[in-house]
Amino acid sequence: MIRARKPIVLVIGAVLLLTGVLSSCTREEEGGATRTTLRVGWSSEPDKLNPITSYSTEGHEVMALVYDKLVEYDTSLQAQPGLAESWTYSDDGLDITYNLRSGVTWHDGVPFTSADAKYTFDTIHEYELGEYSQWLVDMTDVETPDDTTLIIRFSRPQAFNPGLAIPILPEHVWGGMSKDEIRKFQNETPIGTGPYTFTEWKGGESLTIERNADWWGDPPAAQRIVYVLYSNEDVMSQALRAGEIDILTEVPPTIWDGLQGVENVKAVSLPSFSFHHIGFNVDTDPASLGNPLLLDPVIRQALNYAIDRSQLVELALAGHGQPGSVLIPQALGDWQLQIPPEQQMNADPDKANQMLEDAGYTDTDGDGVREASDGSPLEFRLIAIESTTVDVRAAELFVDAAAVVGIKLDLQTMDENTLGNTVYNTKDPDWDIFVWGWDSGVADPDYMLGIVLCSQIGGNNDVFYCDKQYDALYTKQATTVDQGARVPIVDQMQQMFYESGVYIVMWYQDKLQAYRTDTWENWTETPGGMVYNFTRDNYLQITPVA
Amino acid sequence: MFRASYLARKGGQLALTLFAVITFDFLLFRVLPGDPVRLIARAGHLSPEAAAQLRASFGLDHSLPIQYWYYLRNLFRGDFGFSITYSRPVIDILKERMLNTLILLGAATVLIVVLGIGIGVLAAARRGSRIDSGTVVSALVFWSLPTFWTGMILLFLLGVWLHAFPISGVETPGAVYTSAWDHFTDITSHLVLPTITLALVDIAQFILITRSSLVDVLTEDFILTAKAKGLPRRRVIWKHGFRNALLPVITASALYISLVVGGAIQVETVFSWPGMGRLTYDAVMRRDYPILEACFLIFAVTVIIANFMTDLLYQVLDPRVREA
Repeated sequence: MIRARKPIVLVIGAVLLLTGVLSSCTREEEGGATRTTLRVGWSSEPDKLNPITSYSTEGHEVMALVYDKLVEYDTSLQAQPGLAESWTYSDDGLDITYNLRSGVTWHDGVPFTSADAKYTFDTIHEYELGEYSQWLVDMTDVETPDDTTLIIRFSRPQAFNPGLAIPILPEHVWGGMSKDEIRKFQNETPIGTGPYTFTEWKGGESLTIERNADWWGDPPAAQRIVYVLYSNEDVMSQALRAGEIDILTEVPPTIWDGLQGVENVKAVSLPSFSFHHIGFNVDTDPASLGNPLLLDPVIRQALNYAIDRSQLVELALAGHGQPGSVLIPQALGDWQLQIPPEQQMNADPDKANQMLEDAGYTDTDGDGVREASDGSPLEFRLIAIESTTVDVRAAELFVDAAAVVGIKLDLQTMDENTLGNTVYNTKDPDWDIFVWGWDSGVADPDYMLGIVLCSQIGGNNDVFYCDKQYDALYTKQATTVDQGARVPIVDQMQQMFYESGVYIVMWYQDKLQAYRTDTWENWTETPGGMVYNFTRDNYLQITPVA
Repeated sequence: MFRASYLARKGGQLALTLFAVITFDFLLFRVLPGDPVRLIARAGHLSPEAAAQLRASFGLDHSLPIQYWYYLRNLFRGDFGFSITYSRPVIDILKERMLNTLILLGAATVLIVVLGIGIGVLAAARRGSRIDSGTVVSALVFWSLPTFWTGMILLFLLGVWLHAFPISGVETPGAVYTSAWDHFTDITSHLVLPTITLALVDIAQFILITRSSLVDVLTEDFILTAKAKGLPRRRVIWKHGFRNALLPVITASALYISLVVGGAIQVETVFSWPGMGRLTYDAVMRRDYPILEACFLIFAVTVIIANFMTDLLYQVLDPRVREA
């Protein structure tokens, strides 16, 4: 009997032995005098380290610390000096003169001069590179009277300072590359002027950057920043609890709720620069395979009235957001047009039914679905991204809401690439309605307003909306430097697009993040996020907890 | 030990199967619906020139037989093409991931096979005892545990609550190692939780197979003879019994090893272990066809070779198979 216990004793013994031996090893890593490494947990990796062509948030996040811009956002998202110590607009508003810092060097020791900045702006403009070229459409000339002065000339005044968006590249590394070479450039060891130098990227594991001792600004406290990849968001939040990481970049709502009240962890909810929306195919090209009934604004507006956005926020988003209305998200503050609730096309199925009835869409055959005068039913295809669960939930609620007003929707889910390829098929778009979302590329209304321009068909424009009057207003606001004069134009555009009913902006989701309070402190809860935001200052301002 | 004709026949079959798999792998990724260029481009808007350029850079502008020829040629050069999502040669990515997978599953396999066989033999030797039934029941319970869940529970108990082991990755990110030993212990500590998870869930099959196979053998006449000769119990069980009960265990091990290469996707996901399983999963999600093509090939070839080796091992271990 006693011998028979052996196997179990053996297993327990082996496990305990392993535990004992190895736990002593792990302890050592966490010791040390002062905290020097900031550990950031993310759930997806950069696509590449080329600051011009990278399209991932992760890529931009790292590149913002390796490369400097002429002008940077501070934690209140106001412009502050970057590589340019100051900048001035000419009286006619057509030229911007940047006074650059002297004595700045690239990470490889080569001095930085205005020639590098000129190279960057010229190249992006000439080759129409990435999303940056949109800020340089009106650029006519770049001049460098001396090593620390850069003058950019435009054909029209610029409301948005392009210095805020464009990372400055070293000409001695990038110069001589063709458009195609730049697009394909992997930039495996990025060389910038920024506060951190690139150290190592272990694909599938982690990415490390180190403090640049020669940086022009005040040296940040974190000597090293390590981005750790987690393949599961639950585990990522456990890693925060366990103290393996210091901050989470993005936290799903249910997990965020679970982090409330955890010792030494603060879960933060901030307004975001994003929205999720329902988009209608309003392509007027005869080649379009979308249902032509959606070209009638009455049907689109009726669908706007049919849906209850507060319910969407409660049920799909677990309450972590605000009901949507216009194109400009919450975090852009005063730029957002406030439409009084009673004037919003929202949560009024009776009104929707009335509108459809008045427009002659009646259910003639009694099957619960309305028909147009030619007998074609109000039945549309609805597509959503399968892995974006909030969108799928919202789509299901939308199907129910539409049924109430006699419109039938057939929901189909697919992966993001397929949906993107379907929606952005400019030749013969074969879809009716989708559910998707947008994040603003800059802390300025310009980006979101620019999505639905005629010229963006084939670019960002996902609904084929094209209104010359809207485009004219866009140009007007983009060239109005005075903010007081610009706001009414921006408001008018939001109102105009809202009334078209082409987008149902469902919600502005909150940015949910969480950090440890016992490792690093002095985080600023900036609208849009402490990390993954337009400002990098949180990385530069935090200090170790004594 | 082997007859030449047997080896030739088996070798011929192996070569034929490998060729068929390679060809199937090639065709599979070319009959998929949809234009690969559209998927590669990702972007919504693609000009005809850009499309043609992409087509050429992936060799898609040639006829199928020519593409097949290039495919075979590149394969023999160890060139699996260029990953779409990582923008790196597929072979480099495979090397890294394969190493991680081999570390994790190597450790787990040794633990599982050794402990599994040991426990299985002891249970069989005490057939019908409370220990035996206890082993069988708990093996079945562990076998039924979902891997993902078990991993999370261990992660929470040992990682977050007891703080005994790191819960993610292969090594501490950003750690600076003073010696190779330091590095080794760091990796080992990261190995503990995923290895235990795999062992808990997968050990049962080895326990049960070993036990049932040995229980059968132990009822044979030659065992009775051995006992009657007065041989020590230990010798009867291990030398006479286990040796003859080995074949099913070898089969199970070979199958397990071919699974190993595919990675343990659930464990890799829970513990953020960058191995083959996660690579494949990510490649499916991102439609990285060059990576998928290479992964499929490696999995198929491993299974074929593992089976081939098993066949040969049978010959060595069991004279009865040799005669057949």
